[in-house]
Amino acid sequence: MSGKAGFAAKALTDAEDRLLEAEEPLAGLQLRCGGELPGTIAIPILLEAVRKSRRYGMKLARTLTAQDGEERYTAFIEVLPRDGEEGCEVIVRNWRATAVPQVTEEQADHRRTVIDRHLAEVWALLDKDQRLQAVQGDAPDISAVVSAMHEGLGRPWTDFIVPKGMSHLQPMHWRLLDGSAVEIEGSIRDWRANLVPRLGQAGEPNGFELLLVSDQPPPEVRRNRRASDTGGATSGARMVGKEVAPALRQPISRIIANAESIRTRLAGPLADDYANYASEIAAAGQHLLGLLDDLTDLEVVESPDFSTAPDLIDLADVARQAAGILGVRAKDKDIRLVLPNGGDSLEATAEFRRVLQVLLNLLGNAINYSPAGSEVWVRLENEGTKARMIVADQGPGLSEEDAARVFEKFERLGRSGDGGSGLGLYISRRLARAMGGELSVESAPGQGARFILDLPAA
Amino acid sequence: MLGYGGGMIEAAASTASPETVEIVLRQELARGDARAETVVPILRHLLANETNSVFGDDILARVRGMAEHIACQLLDELAGDDEVEGKEARITALTGAFYENAPFLAHLHALAMEWQLSERMLARFTLDPVLSPLVQALVASKDEATQALAMKALASQARFCQAQRRMTLPLSEMPGDHLHFALLCLRNLAGEGEDEAAQRAEAAIRARYDEGKTRLGMLSQLIMSMGSGAIAALSLTHAGTALFLTALAIGSGQDRDAATLSTNDGQLARLALALRSAGMKPEGVNEQFVSLHPDITLPEGFEQLGVDRAAAILAAGGSYPGG
Repeated sequence: MSGKAGFAAKALTDAEDRLLEAEEPLAGLQLRCGGELPGTIAIPILLEAVRKSRRYGMKLARTLTAQDGEERYTAFIEVLPRDGEEGCEVIVRNWRATAVPQVTEEQADHRRTVIDRHLAEVWALLDKDQRLQAVQGDAPDISAVVSAMHEGLGRPWTDFIVPKGMSHLQPMHWRLLDGSAVEIEGSIRDWRANLVPRLGQAGEPNGFELLLVSDQPPPEVRRNRRASDTGGATSGARMVGKEVAPALRQPISRIIANAESIRTRLAGPLADDYANYASEIAAAGQHLLGLLDDLTDLEVVESPDFSTAPDLIDLADVARQAAGILGVRAKDKDIRLVLPNGGDSLEATAEFRRVLQVLLNLLGNAINYSPAGSEVWVRLENEGTKARMIVADQGPGLSEEDAARVFEKFERLGRSGDGGSGLGLYISRRLARAMGGELSVESAPGQGARFILDLPAA
Repeated sequence: MLGYGGGMIEAAASTASPETVEIVLRQELARGDARAETVVPILRHLLANETNSVFGDDILARVRGMAEHIACQLLDELAGDDEVEGKEARITALTGAFYENAPFLAHLHALAMEWQLSERMLARFTLDPVLSPLVQALVASKDEATQALAMKALASQARFCQAQRRMTLPLSEMPGDHLHFALLCLRNLAGEGEDEAAQRAEAAIRARYDEGKTRLGMLSQLIMSMGSGAIAALSLTHAGTALFLTALAIGSGQDRDAATLSTNDGQLARLALALRSAGMKPEGVNEQFVSLHPDITLPEGFEQLGVDRAAAILAAGGSYPGG
């Protein structure tokens, strides 16, 4: 190992292949590759050479190529086991840096999309008019805006997230919004919005993926976020909402996002069969997300100190908002939603968000299990001390036994494969009771079902 | 290679059911037929091979020679000053183990092919296998470090030529990974009461070894020290076979053994892509083809293939066991 030919740097490693000390330029490369000094070697080829030299007990020599995003480095490295110690000595020669070869704009765009999709903390599906179809995101500083978006499905995304320095009527053409800096209420981080078009047959976008990316990491996640939401600690056995759901939500969202881009052939032409498989993957992913939401809610409502924040609300408002969210789905199934008259109102003391959740569940079930061409009614009745909301359908109805079981946990009434978890009604009833009300059902086979939500009147 | 695996038939006999016996016999017959079908094509290939074939007699003999020489050196080290007992059988056992390791075998094969290419270049262009125009220039370099390195590389290349003529490969010239594997084979082979001797032999070989001083190590360092000038080494007739292959491997991000194989006439696409991805201009690639494969013209449109695309196609292709 003698000789000064092309000498550039020297370094020492230990028994666990950590870089103990290193001279420049190697030290800088180690840091830019994401490593620490001292710390495990972050340059893959160097790590392999050092590991082998230590294991073989031999002097090795390799050519090193590495890249730190800006430049490509090449060098000749010699590695020798240190006498009487477990680590190695590294000698770097002929260090050379060259600019990373240019990539075409198209390649760069594609790469950016792939990276953004993996880094996005808010991910949403938009229709061709940039209206929200689905939204996902779970960092603590954005959860407020995500739940607002969730409740505002069907509205343009720019209603919730404001592009910086654009006072124009939103949403503008997607190309103008793509890559723009945006502000998210409640977050102090800088965000960038990226719109990835889903192309239709004629090459025009028939929808978008909205990816919100920030270069700054999310604020430290409080481990008991769910618990603190509900005002106290929950028992140790309840793990899904706190531990599992946040960890699963992101990968599942990625699966869905990727399956969607396969299904919509974003990455190129594909046989129909495969596109169909992708759509099945996406649907299964959506189901899993729904299930996670249900399980999380289940834990919340089952926790001993679960409480709601009652307020003076108008049940007619809740009904109109729920109908707005599920209107498209009902229309798809050719089901007519009959709402209280525009002027009607009925005040109750309850938490708006929770009542909406119950109503969405009841309406969703009604739409799912009613025949095409039928009607679903939402009616309001003033019962003195109670404010009553009724969801009635013209579906197959429930037998007496089924009506008794339908609020039980995980009760599917023999159904399967329709994406339900058997938790919706159970959770809804728990919510109703937590607000001092009740959820019940009246039904007979062939007569349709009437779900009755009673809440304390205002 | 065409040996018959009799184990299957015995296994079937013990299960005793007439149906299974029939099934097994039928499968075995089919397997035998399949083997028989390959005999003639392989034989035809071996008979029809030209001097530059990947399976020439010369190549096979050279691979065997190097493997046996490696085994012999290991056994000599093990025995120390004593005479090695049952040497022939132990050499066969060791080389048998070597041949099981595809990258190891591929490396010996690549060395044999490299030597064959050197001889062809000598015959066709009177290109000296040791002192190519580029090596002469480097040796005459004003930069002392480069000059010293070039001198050492030149000396090791001369030793390589001598060793190839003798069909040998010194342990000190093997790549570290392969030497490590060979030592593991030796450790496996060491018989009762030999443990201590085997450990001593192994430790001595490991301590002596320095990959940076192998011919391949020095060629790599020489190419790295040339910086962007290394592109000059991508000319076969200018750089000579040895430096050319190292430059091709480093430039195209391939294993040197894979790069060597690509100079064979069955691997034209790999060679063209490797040269292009190493940054050589399409006209330059054409020139290399004139020296290596005078009868071949590159596909139309090759001049439009970008360096990055060439690298991407190359990376997406199958990998050579040596790689």
